[in-house]
Formats: sequence, structure tokens, C-alpha cells
Amino acid sequence: MEAIRNFFSGGSFWDVVGTFYQGAVFLYGTSLLLAYAMLAAMSLISIRNYMKKNASVNYEVIVESPLAPGISVIAPAFNEGVTIIQNVRSLLTLNYPKFEVIIINDGSTDDTLEKLIDEFQMIQVDYAYRQKLNCEPVKRVFKSTNHAYDKLMVIDKVNGKSKADASNAGINVSTYEYFLCTDVDCILDKDTLIKLIKPFMDQETTKIKEIGDPCPECGYVHIQEVHKRVIATGATLRMVNSCEVDEGLLTRVRPPVRFLPRFQEMEYIRAFVLGKMGWDLINSVPNVSGGLGMFDKEIAVMAGGYDPKSFGEDMDLITRMCAFMKDNKRRYSIRYVPITLCWTEGPTTLKVFGRQRSRWARGLAQIMTTHRKIIGNPRYGRLGMIVYIYNFLFELLAPIIEFTGILFYIYLIITGQINWPFAIILIVFVYTYSVAITTMALLWDQVTFKYYKTWKEVIGLCMMAFLEPFVYHPLIVFFSIKGYFNFITGRKHVWGNMQRQGFGTAQKKKP
Amino acid sequence: MWKDLSDLLWQAYEQFGFLPLFIQIALIFIGLAILATLVAYGSILFRRWQGYVYEKRVNFITPKIEDMITEQVLLNEQLGSVPVDDIEFDPVPLSDKIYKKPWVRQIVIDVLIQYRKNFRGEVGDLLRKLYIDMGLPKDSFDKMKTLKWERKIKAVMELTQMDIPISDVTILPLTNSQNPSLRAAARNAYIQLSKNDPFKFFDIATEPLLPWDQLDMFRIITTTKDIQIPNFSRWVSYSTNKSVVSFCLKLIAHYDQKSAIPAVMDLLNNKDHYFRADAITCLGKLSAEMAEVRLVKIYDHQPLICQIEILRAVGQIASGKYLEFLKHEFSYSSNFDIRMNAARAIINHDSDESRVIVNELMNTTYEENRIIIKHCLNPLIK
Amino acid sequence: MANILVVEDDEIMLKAIKNILSKDGYNVILAKNGKEAFDKLEHADYDLVLSDLMMPYANGLEVISRLRNDPAKKHVSIIIVSSVGNEETITEAFRLGADDYLKKPIMAGELLIRIRKLLANRTVRHSL
Repeated sequence: MEAIRNFFSGGSFWDVVGTFYQGAVFLYGTSLLLAYAMLAAMSLISIRNYMKKNASVNYEVIVESPLAPGISVIAPAFNEGVTIIQNVRSLLTLNYPKFEVIIINDGSTDDTLEKLIDEFQMIQVDYAYRQKLNCEPVKRVFKSTNHAYDKLMVIDKVNGKSKADASNAGINVSTYEYFLCTDVDCILDKDTLIKLIKPFMDQETTKIKEIGDPCPECGYVHIQEVHKRVIATGATLRMVNSCEVDEGLLTRVRPPVRFLPRFQEMEYIRAFVLGKMGWDLINSVPNVSGGLGMFDKEIAVMAGGYDPKSFGEDMDLITRMCAFMKDNKRRYSIRYVPITLCWTEGPTTLKVFGRQRSRWARGLAQIMTTHRKIIGNPRYGRLGMIVYIYNFLFELLAPIIEFTGILFYIYLIITGQINWPFAIILIVFVYTYSVAITTMALLWDQVTFKYYKTWKEVIGLCMMAFLEPFVYHPLIVFFSIKGYFNFITGRKHVWGNMQRQGFGTAQKKKP
Repeated sequence: MWKDLSDLLWQAYEQFGFLPLFIQIALIFIGLAILATLVAYGSILFRRWQGYVYEKRVNFITPKIEDMITEQVLLNEQLGSVPVDDIEFDPVPLSDKIYKKPWVRQIVIDVLIQYRKNFRGEVGDLLRKLYIDMGLPKDSFDKMKTLKWERKIKAVMELTQMDIPISDVTILPLTNSQNPSLRAAARNAYIQLSKNDPFKFFDIATEPLLPWDQLDMFRIITTTKDIQIPNFSRWVSYSTNKSVVSFCLKLIAHYDQKSAIPAVMDLLNNKDHYFRADAITCLGKLSAEMAEVRLVKIYDHQPLICQIEILRAVGQIASGKYLEFLKHEFSYSSNFDIRMNAARAIINHDSDESRVIVNELMNTTYEENRIIIKHCLNPLIK
Repeated sequence: MANILVVEDDEIMLKAIKNILSKDGYNVILAKNGKEAFDKLEHADYDLVLSDLMMPYANGLEVISRLRNDPAKKHVSIIIVSSVGNEETITEAFRLGADDYLKKPIMAGELLIRIRKLLANRTVRHSL
């Protein structure tokens, strides 16, 4: 018990600071852990709701219906020559009655464009292009002379060094009222469009309220929309690394064999189950990931589209769309579907992985600074009070606090002030808790769908939860700190193309 | 190391009362977390085992059921020569013990529904007869009596798909249920199964008709045979439920009910922009020539969404009287979408006169407008 | 008897059609998706292709266009059997060269009659 007295009865200034710091960190940690527990509970409720509600839905009805709304599938491609044909083919066979596929050749230096033109018998057309959203100039637009490929459009533009820029060009030429953003190398479930459009159609159609007297100019009473409008939907992503793929079609799902992508698979599941489905329950989804998301085009365009300068363009867009709705006093919601509809290639080398994570961290820091007026601003409702406060405290600050925490521990150890029994108990606490939360997330995920064929694969994935705190998590903290550092020093680097090339080469190596 | 750790935790447990609060909390949570992890593992394995057993059973039984249906229905010798109602099934395979088990009966229902989705006509009717002869409607009606809404929905859908009448007393209250999914299923059932007045609930519908429900309902209305298609203008004029009205507009367009044009034109005075736009779209699809004057007259005072719909409608009506108006809009509007839709509308006329105008515009207008015309003329671009 | 290739991704429908057509004496070959269909078209001659529209690897429209653009297979009759009711898609199918379009749910009797008629017409055309 002497240890406790030592712990609390420090006299000097540094001791006071230390005690205060420890108290604050403990408070922070507990609230973080409580938030996780709450998210786990909320996500279970929203997953069960979804499953119950959708068990009896006849999804085929939209396939045969003339009332189906149109969807533009937008997929930027940069030097994807090796896989472009089969990826586009697989996009063209999506199960949906009314959609177009827009491939944006973002100034590729390989034969991506030539291959597309050859394979799909495309010719250049005079396209009345209008720049609604900012992007680099579009040089040419191609359509197929073969009616079997009527749905396909290829646009050739000047490289804009970012996915955001290319996506904006795609939105500019799109004709339908919804658009799906994806990467050309992502593998989509064939029912992706149906499953993602459903939440848009589960909301009441436009409903209005009249305000004030008739306007002297137009003679009509001005109106305000009072219905809740779904502005975006998203679904879970998983790693394609060890899955069996045949000509752009997934034939067997398997968790990645290699450790780094397998950690990522576990992390993705946890992030989508806890981070998205949990928040979905109270309509506070912070982000629709860049790999797969469907948006209401009208709102996305009015909010300004993607920001080519942003490092986290997906969250940036969602934030601006939400803020736009709030500014115009309209109600909105963002819905998440707890089913994996998109499989993406996870980085397999530490170098590429580190670059990706630093970029994400930098993106988060950038978003928190550019949208700082939203943080804790009651005018923005849940966006300001829940989404941004949570993200600021527990996403942005977490790596910093963890990092300083480790430094503090080291300081205590060096100066011999550490209370070993307590320190160990606290570490065991954090460890067991993190394992428990991750395992629960993996369980929730198994509730929705039996993705893996054997139980060994599931357990193999669950085991990652035990290793994560020692191996994977420190890496993430390190790369995040690096990302923040880059953000503060404003270091420029050409991440865009280099990174995607990284993906590209990784894929080329695959047999 | 493990021993030291467990000794430490054990000690902490023994001295629990003397420890500071935060350590106490931490210790409690360690216990809880370990418990939660174990439970999670247990349930993952249990669920998988359960799923595995069920899957095995289904995989074993489904081919048998499919064979039975193929034998009894698809390849039935009497099909085509004997009226469906008089066809008798071979009693031996149907009385197999296996068809007494509730879970097997459920699979039979599901498989039958799959077949019904693919076949109508005599095969479809015979599938229905098989469902009745096996006594399966009782299974569905039993599900209807449970309190769980998701089971009720399943029951309602099975009965609808098999075309088994449900009494109005049971189904009508459900059409205004607070649960959107149940409400939708009940409405669809009512339309399909109520033989005398399938659209009665349009009069009493207070809850909105969600876009997704409209899909289902549209399919049922357009595919159910011997359904009496009423004049939908009735609800356009009198219903206060906006979603019902906008759905009726789609039906009017689909059935090309020209007699509804005056009722639809009344909506042009409505204050809701979106609503007016829907009405204009409907008039265009009906090629309502009598509405053209009115549409062009109100054009200037409309918001953009309605203006675009008016241009489209004039293009669909294509009487040729307002080509000058379209030409004017194309040449002088500053809005890109308006020019685009005006060009399309002119081209849609597809008459000698419109072709002259297109040629003339091609020669006189400036570059951007020329590309718009080329764009609209290109059959490869939709 | 005539060789018929049935392309359909719904297994129940695939088996059902096979049973119905076999009963009428046709020689039925099955393909579960566009890729299998192309494979089987490569390796044998067919008199008629019965195809769904939406299926993995390649959709029904591609199957039509592939057949119609191949001089050796131009003569094959094509019937589309699909649940898609969207007018544009149906027009598109005809524009590409489909001979007939049946919307699911179909009538078995009607399907047989249409197949018989198409094959009969073809023999007439051939003998001319």
C-alpha cells in the first residue's frame, strides 16, 4: 500500500503535473472505452434492425421495375491497363435495370485508354460537357458503337493528381440523379446498386411546408423541405487479397493470409461494424468511405463536390453535404448497410501501408482544421455535437495522447517512480478490453452473413485481436503521428499517383 | 511471466477493498472483458455450427423437393389436357413423412415461391394447387397470428405470392400499420387479393407510400391478371395523401389514361414545386396536346425543375406549335440544362419542320450550342 | 432434334427449363453465366439460344451482340427470357438482334410454341 501513497503524495511541481496528467488520461481512456461499449451496443441494435427489416424484402422487384431511379457508377482509373478490361466488364454486369458506367482515364501513361477503346469498340463523340464541379479539363469522351455496351462511357482527362479531381469530372458528365463512387480495382457484389439505393427509397418522397406569404416576384409561396432526405449510403469493405477472383467476379471469400492485410481486414470490420453501423442508429455516420458510396447527386453538387486538395476527400465531402443541409435547414440522414459489397486490395508492404495511413491521418487533421467551426457547434446539430466532437477527441487526439502516454511511462520507468502493480493492471485492463471489443465486432459481423467458409478462417481472423495491440496498433500510431507531422510542416508529396501505382503493381504481381 | 501476472491479479482481487477507485474499476472491467470475449467466441462457434447443420439439412432436402415439384408440376402428364383444377397429384410422394416437419414445409413454401416467380399460366396455377393440396396455407396463416411483425410479413407475402385470399378484416388494419414494412406488404396483399375493390385503401391511406413500396405495388398492379384498372384521376383530384397522388400520376402515365388529363392539369396550380414537376412529366408522357398552351404559358414563372420538365413535355407532345418557343429558349437561355433540354425537345419532334430548325441552328449558333445539338443528335449518347 | 443453349443464373429456372424442353424432345445444354455461354457457343453449334439478361461475367445483350456479329453464328435464333420489364432494355435487345422476348414469369406452353415457331421459320429460310 506504500505504492499508493507514493503515487498520490508527490510534493514537487512535476509530481503535480504528473498526477494531473494521469488523472486526465485515465478520464479520457475511460470515456473512450465507454464510447466503444456504447457503439458496440448501438451497432448490434442497428444490425438486427436491418436484418429483420430486410429479411422479407424482395430485391428483385427493382430489377424489373420501370420506376427504378437511374444510377451513374463513377470509377477513376490511372494506369490500370493490366486489369481494366475485366474490371469494367464486371461493372457492366451489375444487377440493376438503369445505370451507366463512367470510367475516367485520369491521364494514364500506359495503355489503359487504348485497351478500353479496342475491347469495347469505342469512338470519340461530341459531348456537350459542362463543368459543374472543378476539375482538370476533359479532353475526349468515348461511347461504344456496340449497343451491348450502351451503358459504358469513357472520358479522357488531364491528370489531376487525385481521385477527387477525377471523380468530379465523372460527376460532371453523369446523367442520373444518384451516383456511386468506387475504385476501378474494387470488386463489387453484383447487387451493390440495389442494396445501396434501397435506403434512398425507404424515405418519404419530397414533402414540403409552406412558409410566409406569396412571393411578390414569382407569385408562389416559398416552400421548405421537411422530409428527411437520405443524402448518402455506404456499405462494408473487405480485403480482396486472398479471395479467389475470376474475371472480376468473386468466387470464394477468404481472410488475407498475410498478416498485414489480415490486420486490416479485422480493422475494417471493426470500423464498419462499430464505427458506421453504431453511428447509423442515431444518424451520426461520420463518413462514407471512398471505396464505395452512393450519393444524392443534387446535394453533392450543391455542396461543391470533392475537394481535389483534400487528403481525406471522402469525409470532407460528407461533412460539406451535411453542413449544406444544416445551413439550409433541411433534414438529412446517411445510411449504412451492414453487408460487405466491396472488396478492395489492401497494401501488403509496410511502405505502401505507412503512406496510406499517414495520408489518412493527414486528411483527418486537415478536415478538423478546415471545418473547425463545426466542432462543438450546436448549430450543426449531431454533426457538430456528436460526429465532430467524437472524431476530434477520439480519432484525432488518440494517437497523440497515446504517444505522450508512452513517453510519460518511459519517464516514470527511468526515474523509478512507476508503480508496477498498478501499471500492469491498467495495461491488462486496456488489453483485455480492446480484445473484447474487437471480438464482439467480429461476432456482429458474422451475424449478418457467413462470409468465410470454415470456422478456422474466422478464428484465424479473431486471433489478430490478440496480436493487434503489440504489433499493428503501434504502427498505426506511428504513421498517424507522421501524418500529423506532415500536415503541420505542410510537406508536399505526390501521393496520389504513386500510391495508386503501388496498388497497381501489387495487383500485377498476382498470378 | 504468466504466473507473475496471475499472482498479481489474484493479489489485487484479495485486497480489492483497499485499492484506489480507478484500479477497482479497471479490475472489474478486466473481468467483464474476459467474460465478453469468451461469450463472443462461444457464440461465433455456436452460430457457425448451427448454420452448418441447417445448411446441411437444406442441401439434403432441397433437391428432393425440387424433384418432387418437377415430377408433380412441370412434367405432369395431365398438364395441357385436363383443366388445372381437376389435376390430381400422385398421393404417394406427397404423403412422405418428411413433409410433416415444419422446417421442411417452410422450405417447400420457399421453393414453390421461387417457381411461381418464374412461371405463370397453367404451371403457375398448378404450383398454387400443390401449395393448397399440401395444406401449406395453414402454415402461412399460423404465422400471421404471431406477434412478431417480421413473421407476419413473411406470412402475408407467402399468401400474396400464392394468391390465397385473406379476409379484409385481417388485412385492412395492417395497411395503415406503423411499421413501414408490414404496411407495404399488407397493401400489396390487399391489391392483389381483394377481388371487388382492390384500390379501396387508396381512399383510407394516411401513411405515406414510400418509393420502394411503389415499386412493389406497381409490379402487382401491372401484372395481376383480372384486376380492374380504375380511372386514377379520382385520387389525383381528391386524395390528400401526396404520395398516393404522385403514385397515381405514374399509373396514369403507364396506362395512358388520357381522360385523366384535366385532373392532372389541375395540379399545375399546386404550390409544391416537386408536385408540379411530377404533373408536368405525366402530361408529357400522356402527350397531352391540350395542356401544351397552358404549359408554355406558365413556363416563365416556374422554378428550374419545372421549366425543364415543361421543355421535355413539349418535346414529347411534339405538336409542332411551339417549335419557335423551344428555339427561343435554346438560343437565348443562359442556363445550360435549359438549352440542352430545349435542343432535345426540338429534335424529338422529328418532323420536317424541326429538322429545318436544327439545320438552321447548326449554321447560325455559336460553338457551345452546336456541340449541344451534336450531342443530342448522336444516337450513341442517351 | 434441335440443339438449344439455355443461359440463366437462377438454378431453379435453369433446371425447370431443361426439364420442360427435354420433355418436348429438344437437346438442351445449360450455361450458368455469360462466360460459360461463350465457352459453349465456341465448342458446338446451336439452333437456338435462350438467354437471361442479367447474369455474371457478361449480360444477355452481350450474348446477342456476340452471336449477331459472328458470321458463323448469325443464323442462331435468340429468345430472351428475363424479368427485366424496362422498355429501353427490351428495345435494346431487339435492336441488337433478339428474335423474341419473354418476360418472367413465363408460361411454359407459350415458350414451347415460340421455340417451335422460330425453329420452323428458320428451316423455311434455310431451304430457300
